[in-house]
Amino acid sequence: FGNFAKRVSRSSIMLWRQFLGSLQVANVISSRSSVSFRSQKMSFVSIRSRPSSLRFKICCSATGEAQAKKETVDKVCMIVKKQLAVPDGTPVTAESKFSELGADSLDTVEIVMGLEEEFNITVDETSAQDIATVQDAADLIEKLVTEKTA
Amino acid sequence: ISPWEKLPERNEMEEEHSGGVRRRWLVDVARWSPSPTQFQAAAALLPPHHRHAIARFVKEEDRKRALLSRLLQYSLVHRVLGIPFHQIHIYRTTEGKPYLENGPPAFKNFNFNTSHQGDYVGIASELLCLVGLDIVCISKPQGETTVEFLKNFSSYLTGHEWNCIGRAAGSIEMLTEFYRYWCLKEAFVKAVGAGVGFGLHRLEFHHVEWSNISVYIDGIESRKWRFCLFKLDEMHLASIAKGHPEDAIHSFKTTLSNVVVEEEEFYAALEIPEETFTLQTVEQLTQL
Repeated sequence: FGNFAKRVSRSSIMLWRQFLGSLQVANVISSRSSVSFRSQKMSFVSIRSRPSSLRFKICCSATGEAQAKKETVDKVCMIVKKQLAVPDGTPVTAESKFSELGADSLDTVEIVMGLEEEFNITVDETSAQDIATVQDAADLIEKLVTEKTA
Repeated sequence: ISPWEKLPERNEMEEEHSGGVRRRWLVDVARWSPSPTQFQAAAALLPPHHRHAIARFVKEEDRKRALLSRLLQYSLVHRVLGIPFHQIHIYRTTEGKPYLENGPPAFKNFNFNTSHQGDYVGIASELLCLVGLDIVCISKPQGETTVEFLKNFSSYLTGHEWNCIGRAAGSIEMLTEFYRYWCLKEAFVKAVGAGVGFGLHRLEFHHVEWSNISVYIDGIESRKWRFCLFKLDEMHLASIAKGHPEDAIHSFKTTLSNVVVEEEEFYAALEIPEETFTLQTVEQLTQL
């Protein structure tokens, strides 16, 4: 085993997970404070992971749902880019298919794990198989987060 | 050294005499460095919709692998069934499993499976049994320990399998053990035509030093599946899964013409020993 094929993206994933770990404390605090906004259509996802943008979210509650989807999509894009070591300058959008970006079955598992950690959700294997694009992932995340907070 | 190195004829004739429509082919992707023209020439053998699909892959290596895995399918059907390239209808089930729509009726359950990872693209075909192929490239995780990497997959292997992995001496061996289990599970799932949602944890593999491999499905040992692991080179493994057509998932089963198989005939086919893969060059695949 002289020369392993190197998955460069894994070092980024590890650092990024450590970063997420440090966010756990902040998540607890912000999720408690978001309880009073349950009746409004808001993105609890963005509130949990970005406590500093809480005020911005209140102001934009009318367009909260559309905004939330974009933010979720952006986060999914970030996770996918890192896992698949997508070259700089290659666009990753909601329509991007994981397989076309080079994901194999192992990558898909790691992407789903990354999404579970980032959004604090659990994705079962049946749902995981339907995720082919960034948009699919974002839609599933929104669904699971909504179910969780309902 | 010419990139179009010719395969020793002996291997190919042996394969044809013994196998009929059974094949095990490999292409070494690293040895094919096509110019854009050569790439397009190979792609031109496929129906037009494939070219668009191939072009959508972002990385060049993925485009090569995508082209070669499709070319392997068409080339195999062309070679073993004699159908001209442009008359071959390979469609996909809703789960994405490719199958031959217009195979001759006498060819019962002719089915095939491709796989690609790292330097290899491969295909396996069978006449009666379902066949699945998976190729893995054993890559050492960068920036995280082997244990941290393996934790991602904890729900996909069973307790028994993790115990076996845990007994390995050292992280390289643990990683290899993991990839062997993963490879076998993927080969099975692909053979039955299922996607990721099958539930890999439903399968538990037992073996004696990686021979006499058997599978327990939902806790029950299956007598109707055989598995074989191959070491392609220092970094690549391949697994072959062969089994009973009754285990195909519904969408794939409807593409097979002979799901009810006479027991003796089935076991005779199942127990044909696995042979090594035959290396194909792209030149051979594109021969009309």
